[in-house]
Amino acid sequence: MTEHTAAQPSGVILATFPEHNGRPGVVYRNAGDSFLLVEFGDMVFDLTMSFRVLGLDDAIKRHRPEGLIEVIPALRSVLINYDSRVLPAKRLIEFVQAQYEELPPFHDLVVPSRIVELPIAFDDKWTREAIARYVQYQRADAPNIINGTNSEYAAMYNGLRDKEEFFEYIMATDWWNAALGFFPGLPFAYPLDPRRAVVIPKYNPTRHWTPAGTIGIAGPCLAIYPVESAGGYQIFAHTVPIYDPQQRNPAFRESPVLLRPGDRLRFRPRVTDEELEAMIQAVYDGTYQYVIDETATFDVGEYLRFLDSVREEAEAFRRHQAEAATRVPIP
Amino acid sequence: MLEVRNGGFETTVQDYPGRIGMLSLGFAPAGPMDDYAFRFANVLVGNPPGAAGLEITAGGLVVAFHDERAFAVCGADMAARLNGQPVVLWRSYRARPGDVLEFDYLQGAGFRTYLAVSGGIDVPPVLGSRSTYLPGSVGGLDGRKLQAGDRLPLGEPRVDLGQVIDRRVRADLIPGYAGYNEVWEVEATRGPQADPDYMTREDMDAFFSHHWKLDAASNRTGYRLDIYKWQWARTSGGAGGGHPSNIIDNGYPVGAVNVCGDQPIILCIDGPTLGGFICNAVVAKAAMWKLGQMVPGWSYIHFKEVSLEEAIELLARQDASISEENLERS
Repeated sequence: MTEHTAAQPSGVILATFPEHNGRPGVVYRNAGDSFLLVEFGDMVFDLTMSFRVLGLDDAIKRHRPEGLIEVIPALRSVLINYDSRVLPAKRLIEFVQAQYEELPPFHDLVVPSRIVELPIAFDDKWTREAIARYVQYQRADAPNIINGTNSEYAAMYNGLRDKEEFFEYIMATDWWNAALGFFPGLPFAYPLDPRRAVVIPKYNPTRHWTPAGTIGIAGPCLAIYPVESAGGYQIFAHTVPIYDPQQRNPAFRESPVLLRPGDRLRFRPRVTDEELEAMIQAVYDGTYQYVIDETATFDVGEYLRFLDSVREEAEAFRRHQAEAATRVPIP
Repeated sequence: MLEVRNGGFETTVQDYPGRIGMLSLGFAPAGPMDDYAFRFANVLVGNPPGAAGLEITAGGLVVAFHDERAFAVCGADMAARLNGQPVVLWRSYRARPGDVLEFDYLQGAGFRTYLAVSGGIDVPPVLGSRSTYLPGSVGGLDGRKLQAGDRLPLGEPRVDLGQVIDRRVRADLIPGYAGYNEVWEVEATRGPQADPDYMTREDMDAFFSHHWKLDAASNRTGYRLDIYKWQWARTSGGAGGGHPSNIIDNGYPVGAVNVCGDQPIILCIDGPTLGGFICNAVVAKAAMWKLGQMVPGWSYIHFKEVSLEEAIELLARQDASISEENLERS
């Protein structure tokens, strides 16, 4: 273990470990008296990091030391909630680093990964209302709002022809749910097809109100708002409930939260506001059937080969996207 | 049983430390905003410090007792009266069947007050806690704030009523609250995303010296502070998004100061658990109670930097102070 304790004057970084044998480097950050933030690799969008993070999450849970309360995984980090009086930060860092270094190679993994199909209505009435409220009460001159939507801005920012092409991109890829959080059951999902990986900056300032069921994107990450809440993502669509504390549909029988880390989300079919409204009603009266392939698996090696096969196309899209973004103001 | 005759502005059932270990599913812990007053109220009536009680925000609650209980009110002054007789804060009393406890609205500094009843509020635990988590509509009574007509079941008291009534918290342990337009000093640690890699040293100096106004649009999910023009150490958020406050989403510590674009927001105990903005500081756990007594739209906050070790020490001292030994006969 080659530790480089950082000589940072601010004291924010508690320890760093460099990249080693293809294993990404690690930075341990002070996150107060009850939390430790552990970051892997660089601040780049690399979906394969999620496989390592979920592996580490699992390893930490299996060897849980006394004083460790919870691990909160995200795409390239874990936040650890711990009792610093029982488990000092230094010992926690040593423990996490040891688990990380013992992780098996992830190329050979075939992991359980359900496929969850969700209906989608684009630029629906709920989304439009949230945006209209933002314009009226919070910021009238937000550059990310064009014709009462965020979708035109999203298309421009990614160099896409129009919002219809942006919608096609959303439906053309599966979305890997790397983590749950923000509010109960909210997925943080990333595009598995890098040729369709749109990127959008966030709201500034954030919205005070977003209706439950809203779909948004910020950075490369897609989220579904499970409850009415504040929010910072650009919003452009709506779907059926993914959280029901009253557990009124069989899909919520085991848990009020529909989705799990490692699920793949697939948006289909495209529906109208009226059709979606009927589906939402059917969820609550228990008759709606969620389309979930419970037994699907995800082959990491196969996925890595797929990434290789589309590398040039993905690179071309990224260049096109980056070039388009320079011509578009950020909020 | 405790009968609610008026739910007031916003009254909820809470326990301490709330719904722990569910951040990874997106459940914030909930619990009392001022856990110091809350825990002392419980200790006064002989409950475990974390037993379920009521959080009364701004005031207006009216409850009637249906059996004999000890009760205590700790926190902001809302001119509480038992059958019309003034109830002194930080002190335990006896209530008899038919007694009515009424809260007026805020009388001065502070924003929330806590009612503990011997035996605790015995609503069913949901996902491990009785705390009401309003954004997720779970816990407490049907996941919502209380309203007239609600009937709250009470648990079995642990000790004889005679032993726990007429006690008070030692005067030097009763905190003073900063008044309207006054400044609260709040201990906080630096990071996880601060200088030198996300913000400049000057940004952080400003953060720890500025008097931040608490916005009126603040609640248990977040405390919004003034817009500030940060220098930033980066020109963009890279893969996290265009603005330098953007990062690839990560878990948020409870009590973190989340900088969203230009606006810092303290993530409170009902706040988001994960997101894509930097957090430049985290409020010390021992200072979280102060948030509960600030008045949105009126209070100012000065963040006082403490080290990780100092924050842990503050917490140890606070936990030790909330005990039977620090009560006196009144």
